[in-house]
Amino acid sequence: MIKKKVPPLVFAAIAAALVVAGGYGFRTVRSTGALPPVLPVDMPDPMSPPGGDYTTALSNRNAFADPGVPLTTEERRAFSFGNRLFNTNWTTAPGSVKSFDGLGPLFNRVSCSGCHTRDGRGRPPLNGETVFESMLVRVSVPGKDVDGGPKPHPVYGDQISDKAILGVPAEAKVHLSWSPVEGTYADGTKYELQKPTITLSDPAYGPFGDDLMMSPRVANQVYGLGLLELVYESDILKRADPDDADHDGISGRPNWVIDPATGRKVIGRLGWKANQPSILAQDTGAARGDIGLSTSLRPGQNCTPAQTACAAAPDGGEPEISDEFLAKLVTYSRTLAVPARRNPTDPQVMEGQKLFASSGCAACHTPTMFTGHAADSITLANQTIHPFTDLLLHDMGPDLADGRPDYEATGSEWRTAPLWGIGLIPQVNGHDRLLHDGRARGVAEAILWHGGEGEGARERFKALSAKERDSLVAYVNSL
Amino acid sequence: MHKRQKSGIFVSAVFLTAALGSVPLPALASGPGEIPASFAAAGGAAATYGAAAEIMSYTDLIHRSYDASYKKAVVMQKAIDALLAKPDAKTLAAARNAWLDAHITYSLTEAYRFYEGPIDFAKNAEGDEGPEGRLNAWPLNEAFIDYVEGNPKAGIINDPSIKITEKSIRERDQAADEKDVATGFHAVEFLLWGQDLSETGPGNRPATDYIAGKDNDDRRRLYLTTITSGIVDDLLWLTAQWDITLGNTYIHKFVALDQREALGRILTGMANLAGSELAIERMSVALESGDQEDETSCFSDNSHKVFIADHDSVKNIWFGTYGDWKGAGIVGLVTRVNPDLAKRVTAQMTKTTAALAAIPHPIDHNVLGTPKGSEGRKKMEAAVEDLIAEGKLIVEVGQALGITITVASN
Repeated sequence: MIKKKVPPLVFAAIAAALVVAGGYGFRTVRSTGALPPVLPVDMPDPMSPPGGDYTTALSNRNAFADPGVPLTTEERRAFSFGNRLFNTNWTTAPGSVKSFDGLGPLFNRVSCSGCHTRDGRGRPPLNGETVFESMLVRVSVPGKDVDGGPKPHPVYGDQISDKAILGVPAEAKVHLSWSPVEGTYADGTKYELQKPTITLSDPAYGPFGDDLMMSPRVANQVYGLGLLELVYESDILKRADPDDADHDGISGRPNWVIDPATGRKVIGRLGWKANQPSILAQDTGAARGDIGLSTSLRPGQNCTPAQTACAAAPDGGEPEISDEFLAKLVTYSRTLAVPARRNPTDPQVMEGQKLFASSGCAACHTPTMFTGHAADSITLANQTIHPFTDLLLHDMGPDLADGRPDYEATGSEWRTAPLWGIGLIPQVNGHDRLLHDGRARGVAEAILWHGGEGEGARERFKALSAKERDSLVAYVNSL
Repeated sequence: MHKRQKSGIFVSAVFLTAALGSVPLPALASGPGEIPASFAAAGGAAATYGAAAEIMSYTDLIHRSYDASYKKAVVMQKAIDALLAKPDAKTLAAARNAWLDAHITYSLTEAYRFYEGPIDFAKNAEGDEGPEGRLNAWPLNEAFIDYVEGNPKAGIINDPSIKITEKSIRERDQAADEKDVATGFHAVEFLLWGQDLSETGPGNRPATDYIAGKDNDDRRRLYLTTITSGIVDDLLWLTAQWDITLGNTYIHKFVALDQREALGRILTGMANLAGSELAIERMSVALESGDQEDETSCFSDNSHKVFIADHDSVKNIWFGTYGDWKGAGIVGLVTRVNPDLAKRVTAQMTKTTAALAAIPHPIDHNVLGTPKGSEGRKKMEAAVEDLIAEGKLIVEVGQALGITITVASN
């Protein structure tokens, strides 16, 4: 397998940009200088189903929760039980129901659906809420762990658990504050964005130290993952352009991560930084990190050596999620279908499609990908899909940077977020928050936060008329 | 699991008051029934059979079923009022009995779901949904409502910062988590029985949880009456939607449908309740979890009767029966079109009925708490197989009538 390395020069440039921009400060928008060219991209037929055969006609609150295709009775039983597991509120061990105990000791939520409600998207606390219900903060210290992943904090590990079972101190409290950031479209219309600041308080296990790196993450929606898992690796790699050989201002690099199932280095596909190679890795990672549940793939309690009360707490059996249950949870996660487009041939949407392409959005938000072979599922295999992601990492500039590397992703790189179905987040989850920390209120703000490799697309968007901007946003919401 | 239709953050159903005698009639701001025809197109040419009598009879059956369910809910409401007036073991037992009766009567309406009729219509633009999710959602997170073992201060009831009103409860219903069910039959069940922590019996909440003026009992009393009145209101609204004597209700749209469209909806409800919701979501999931209390009416240990009532709901449509009432069942129509198929469906229903009756109950102790391969588990698995077979036969009925219907599980 070819491992693509980023030239040191790029690292140096990013580091310089971070220094110049003061790390997280809002960078002044470039107002002069020619933008790089937009290369042509084939846009899909509006009627082409986004998930191929794995497309659901539902557009109501359960639009993210449907298998889409007819399942065999056995598959349906596995799906329904996986759904039940996804919704299970795990309890402290020893519990009256042995198969569902083993919560924590440290955790963020007691169920998968607690954050991924109706298989959808989380958000930051709003309107005076103080508890992080569907969002968490990853942490690490400089350096890499033995796998090449983030180096966990020696005491707090790789994520702040703001909740814990009775008798075990929660690690810390997490706070979020917002500050306004103003800007102006080319037509003179003013806008105001909100920039989040994350702070930690009440450290229960000693000081965090001066070198703690934090990355806030909202829970991502979980449909279509079975398809992304099967996208041809060559299809991903052929779009990588680390040296920007085509001079469109966009590079794109794969993340290479260790698959916990095999110990081998493979391409990362899932997660905000493409740091998970498969649904199995993703599900088991979240079970352990977010709910504190062990699996045969990721055994043991999620405590560091300094967390003695955590280590001494009873567990819910080893593993806490049995292999039989885990297989069904994975079947469920694989099988959630992508919602069909709602109004794909609406004239405004059709105009938006043209603008999406001409503004350069499609350079990273790749409209069409293909899935490869799946030994056990003919319906997931060999599909033409429209995820609107290239599954590559892109430098998104200092404003979106979290400053926390994750395998080969730098502190300012993020995986291109898939756009399929995002217009239904308000329907499913009752909010329109986008980007990794949920700062953007809707599609337009998400675009306005694009920097780095996304700066050209952002500037072209800002240059559009109000009517054109509305059309482009309507297109994204129709996907 | 009653997952397909949920209420929660999007409940924006504005309650208008319409005159129905002196009874306030709740009505949704935008009504059900404006969904595109989904079955009529199959086959193209007009149906050569006449099904007007069966379709009219079906609407009559639905109206009777919801009316009975509404009336039993009113009886339950009165029993709960009596419990609160004088909380003791006797009034609590009476309230529990009234709940059992009301919930079983509601279960007899469940085959009217799954085709976006009044019970679970969805209007995405307005965010309106039918009342199914707030009437019968399960499983529920007990600790979201009231105290549980190990957490005496849990739930909305024990959080004085939340003012208990119909609005405040509905705003919280399944908003942050699907399991945060705040309303409906199973919430009332939990408030009457408490957690089922017993190996052999149901939950055992004491009547002293409802002493006026004591601790948070006033909040618990208010919570119970508020969600009970929500059930009564929703059932009254459903009854009205199927009342041919009222204007501007769903039944007028239904009887005006192309016959195959109407039959498609009827059969979709039957096939999906038998072959998917009951067989898979309620029975298979409980079997696979190995969790003694993973059953649909876990607090009262009444799941077995719910299974039977759900199946009776399918049979009532097929045979055109409800108690002593006799109408024109779908069996008559199918007998005219394909008598052999009609006989096979009737035979399967008899077989399924026997298989359901053979499940040892209460199922928590006799099935779900037993090891794999036990007699009890085999019996419940056999009933699942029969229900799936029945669902497939109803799909075949659709084919015989020139209608394509889909069951989630095949």
